Amino acid sequence: MARRICLLFLAVASPLILILFVIPWTYSDVVFAILVMGYPVALVGVAVGRGDSLSGLGVVALFLFALLEVSALAMYVLRGFVMEAPWVGGLPFAAAIQLYGLWLIPLLVVPLAYALTFDRFEMTQEDLGRLQRFKKTPEERP
Amino acid sequence: MSNLAQPAVIWTALIYLAVVVAIGFWAARRTRSPKDFFIAGQSIGLIVTGLAVTSAAFSGFIFMGGPGMAYRMGLASLFIVIPSSFTAGMLCWVVAKRLRLLAEVREIFTVPDVIFCRYRSRRASGLAAVAVLVGTIGYLGAQLKALGILIEAIFGTREVLGGWSLAAAMAVGLVIVVFYATAGGMVAGVYTDLFQGALMVGAAIAVFYYALRVGGGLEQMTRSIAESQRFGPSHLDPMGSIPVFTAMGFFFVFAVGSLGQPHMLHKFFMIDDPRKLKWMPMVIGVSQTLCVLIWLGIGLAVPALVAGGRMAPLDNPDQASPLFLLGFTPAILAGLVFAGILAAIMSTADSFLNIGAAALVRDLPKAFGRKVGDELAWGRLAVVAIAVSAAVFAYVYGDLIALLGTFAFGTFGAALVPALAVGLNWHRVTAAAATASIATGMGVNLVLEFLAKQTFISCLPGLPFQSGILPSAVSLAASFTVLFLVTWFTWNRRQPDLGEDVDFVMSVGKSTSK
Repeated sequence: MARRICLLFLAVASPLILILFVIPWTYSDVVFAILVMGYPVALVGVAVGRGDSLSGLGVVALFLFALLEVSALAMYVLRGFVMEAPWVGGLPFAAAIQLYGLWLIPLLVVPLAYALTFDRFEMTQEDLGRLQRFKKTPEERP
Repeated sequence: MSNLAQPAVIWTALIYLAVVVAIGFWAARRTRSPKDFFIAGQSIGLIVTGLAVTSAAFSGFIFMGGPGMAYRMGLASLFIVIPSSFTAGMLCWVVAKRLRLLAEVREIFTVPDVIFCRYRSRRASGLAAVAVLVGTIGYLGAQLKALGILIEAIFGTREVLGGWSLAAAMAVGLVIVVFYATAGGMVAGVYTDLFQGALMVGAAIAVFYYALRVGGGLEQMTRSIAESQRFGPSHLDPMGSIPVFTAMGFFFVFAVGSLGQPHMLHKFFMIDDPRKLKWMPMVIGVSQTLCVLIWLGIGLAVPALVAGGRMAPLDNPDQASPLFLLGFTPAILAGLVFAGILAAIMSTADSFLNIGAAALVRDLPKAFGRKVGDELAWGRLAVVAIAVSAAVFAYVYGDLIALLGTFAFGTFGAALVPALAVGLNWHRVTAAAATASIATGMGVNLVLEFLAKQTFISCLPGLPFQSGILPSAVSLAASFTVLFLVTWFTWNRRQPDLGEDVDFVMSVGKSTSK
């Protein structure tokens, strides 16, 4: 189901983005931002999904999806409020969301999640065993 | 370009170039087969591969163009590089594992090889090879021209050679890159990339430190920018200084487009053991993020210095990096950074020489059902031919090559991402869909970028979109749309048998993949 939702998202979001580009509408820019932020997570979902689930990466995918979407919406809402909004970590709030939220948090979470789930979901012992069956010497490779 | 011809800069650049040439000599003795030449014998470890991906991905643009963009459009420019924090993970989840495992069961040297394996279609792989070649000439031409301009500035050749200066500087850069790319192939490529990547990371960290020190810390810099009349608060507003469509378009093109960059993907074929992918996102993510510090550091420090009256406003934003380095950092660090910029340009150029040569002597003949006899010898010849053509093209048609250089990333992304990222993970994508998607991505991007930037033909129309929309974002979305549409209409057709091994690779990590 989760994988199908990701495929459906990509299949619907792509033409929708093209429509937003050619038909001007008041909210087309914010809708574009929401769709764009969902793209990377949907692609990961298609790649790691197993039938009905995201193979144990559902929590990471949901977290990343929420982080990207909330960050984009917050930056959108905070447009024009640089001086009025609080400053965090030496930066105006929207810039702090951009640098700390969109840049540093995924850097901490994504590579770690990948490494920690690698042996269980990405390349299991069973996969490696099956690989030996298909592995060929360079001379035998078609 | 500022006058960089200072002893510390000249000596550091000379030492750097000598090391690169030495690596070329060393690697030449280890290059004996096409496999060595195109994928470094599939014998490269984790750190070397990770840094090679970083240095191939980040050209001189990160060091020179990036801070210039930050000076011109503020923090919104960072949407180009911010995705680097998670694109490494995305790369490994979506494509890298399958690329590497395919290279374990088939003879895979290039991205068009992968397209052929996945779709059993010469048309799809041939089109992919054309996309690679077109993008390569553009990227390479832009890199060689930048290399010439930098060598000219560092060694002050204009005063000696006058009008021939740029041509001579480009020739020197070309000879060095072609030497190590021809003699040592990818063995030389990845080890120079390792050296170059380490240099880029070290230089970026040091510059960020000096930027913070000179500017008085992050908060002082941002406050003085926000309170200045020249820049104002919008400079620090991620979606305030440019249209949201442009800011989010940067994010879309550079996050999703990174999955289709052949000079990065190519490196994954070279890892000696697929299990080493486990820590690859960490190595790539951290090294890329550290390199981006130079964009952020100089991008904030220079506007803050200008706002505080310590630096004159810039006529040309691309001068932000050289002026900051020469005026506010120790000479030896400035020298190291300029060597780092040379490194960034050369490492990207050598990657493109290799994949361009592979497209010419391997992928295109295969698309026509032919095979080149001695791939190693022809590969070396092709490197020289591509380098010389790109350099001549860049020198003679300077404006056109700049145009080609800017759209190359978008062309690769639009042409290759849907067929690779969706196709390698979903069995239902058909060869017809992949072919149509590659043709759409490449064609739409070429036409739109040309219409957006051309000034040669006055009667041609501009882009038929709202202002601020990036042509490469349109072509990427169009390419995905076509992939899904054609798949929808053709998935009932009989699909070719991919082979048990390819089916296995596509199902690794998925117990119920079809």
